Amino acid sequence: MDNILEIKNLCKKYDNFELKNISFKLPKGMIMGLIGENGAGKTTTIKAILNIITSYSGDIKIFGLSNKNETIKEDIGIVLDDMFFPEIITPKDINNSMKNIYKNWDSKIFNDYLKKFSLPNKQIKTFSKGMRKKLEIATSLSHHPKLLILDEPTSGLDPIARDEVTNILQKFIENENCSILLSSHNTTDLEHIADYITFINNGEVILSKTTNELLDKYGIVKCTEKEFKDINTKDYIKYKKTKYGYEILVENKKDFKEKYNIKIIDKVTLDELMILMIKGVK
Amino acid sequence: MIGFIKKDLAMIKSNFKLLGFLVIIYIVMILLGYMDISFILPFMSVMIIISTFSYDNYNKWDAYSISLPNGRKNNVKSKYITTILMLLLVSIIIVILSFIISYINTQTINYEQTLISTLGTIFGTLLVLTFMYPIIYKFGVEKARILIFIIVFGLAIIIGLISKYIDLSNILKSLSFLENYLVIILIITSIIMVYISYKISEKIFMNKEF
Repeated sequence: MDNILEIKNLCKKYDNFELKNISFKLPKGMIMGLIGENGAGKTTTIKAILNIITSYSGDIKIFGLSNKNETIKEDIGIVLDDMFFPEIITPKDINNSMKNIYKNWDSKIFNDYLKKFSLPNKQIKTFSKGMRKKLEIATSLSHHPKLLILDEPTSGLDPIARDEVTNILQKFIENENCSILLSSHNTTDLEHIADYITFINNGEVILSKTTNELLDKYGIVKCTEKEFKDINTKDYIKYKKTKYGYEILVENKKDFKEKYNIKIIDKVTLDELMILMIKGVK
Repeated sequence: MIGFIKKDLAMIKSNFKLLGFLVIIYIVMILLGYMDISFILPFMSVMIIISTFSYDNYNKWDAYSISLPNGRKNNVKSKYITTILMLLLVSIIIVILSFIISYINTQTINYEQTLISTLGTIFGTLLVLTFMYPIIYKFGVEKARILIFIIVFGLAIIIGLISKYIDLSNILKSLSFLENYLVIILIITSIIMVYISYKISEKIFMNKEF
C-alpha cells in the first residue's frame, strides 16, 4: 500500500450542485492541499471520505481499505469546518470522552497541546474563533493518527498561530507513514508545506499535480495586445485582460519562452493560478 | 460508546445546579403542604436532555461524531443510555426525597404508592422521549418541537372526539383487572417502547447525511 488515500470516480448529485468524477491519490509521507473556490466541492469531497455523506458513487480507499470500514477511523485525525464538540463542554471533558472513543488516545499529548496553545479549561463557548481552531487541531493530533484530514484548519488563526500549526504539520509528516489532506484558502501556506495540489472547481478536479511541478513549470506571461494576438491558443491555458495588457497562464514556461519572444514570464502563485483558471478566458 | 456517554453527561453536568435548585424547591413545597410537584423533576430532566440535542445541533456535533470510530451507532446509543441514566437518577432522587419528607413530617409512608407514582411519572416521561427521539433524529430538534406540538394537539382532539361518542370509562373498567400487574406492565412496556424507538432512531441516523 503506497497510497494512504485513493479516490476513484467520486460522484454525488445535489439539486443545485454536483461532484463529477473526483479522482486523486495521496501517497504515504505526503501533504496534499485541496484548493478551490467556496462551494467548489472540497468539503463535500471530505464529507464523502469520512462517510458523513453516504449516497455517492465511486470508490474511496483509506489505508487500502474501504472507507466504510469503521476501524480505519482509529487512525484518522480530523478538523472539520464548523463541526466539533458542543460548546458547553470543556477541553477536560473532551479529553475524558476521547479516552474512551479512540483506542490510542494520548492524554499527555493532548494536555501538552493545550499548554502549547495556552488553552484554558473553560467552556468552549468562551473561546475565540482562533482558540477553537487550536483546540480542534489539538484534538485531531492526540491519538497518534496516520492520516490527517483537515478542512480549513488555519482559518481564523493569526499569522503566528498559523506558523505554529504549519510547523506542527511538518513535524507530523516527518513520520513517513503519515499523510495529510488539507483544504485551505491560505495558499501561501500550502505553497510551503504541500507536496501535491489538487484543484477542485465546480465539482470537478481540474488539476492534481506536485506543488514543485506547478510552481516551477507553470508561468504567467505578461504581454501587450499585439504580442497576445501572435500567440497560438493551444500554447496557453487561460488569459485575462488587465489594465496594462494581458496575463496568460502557460503550462510550461520554458517551452513558451523558446517559442515566443516575450520577456516577462513570472512564476505563478497558487492564488494567481486559481484566479486565472476560474476567471480567465480561453 | 462510553466516550459518547461521557460527552453527553458532561453537557448535562452544567445543568446539575438547576436540578439541585429544583430539588430544594420541591422539598420546600412539600414541607409547606403545597401540592405534590414530583412530576417537575422528570419534566426538567427531559428539558435538560432535549437541550443537549440543541447544542449538538448548533455545533454540528452529529456530523463530527460520524467521523469518529463507530460514530453513527454510538451517537444514538449514548443518547438513549444517557436518558435512561438520567431518569434513573431522578427516580432515585424522588424515592429518597419521599422517605426524607415522610420522616420529617412523621407520616407513615406508603411504599407501594410511592413506587407506583414514581414509576408512573418516569413511564410518562419515557413515553414522551421515545416518541420524540426518532422525530428529532429525522427532522432536527427545532422542527421536531413544532411537529411534536402538532401531533400532541392532534391526538388530544382525536381522543376528545372519540370519548364524546364512545364511553371510555367502560373500557377502563374492563381493564381494571390489570391493576395488580401495573408495575410489571409499566416496566415491560417501557423496555419495549425504548427498544422500538432506539431501533427507529438508529435506522434514521445510520442513513442520515450532513
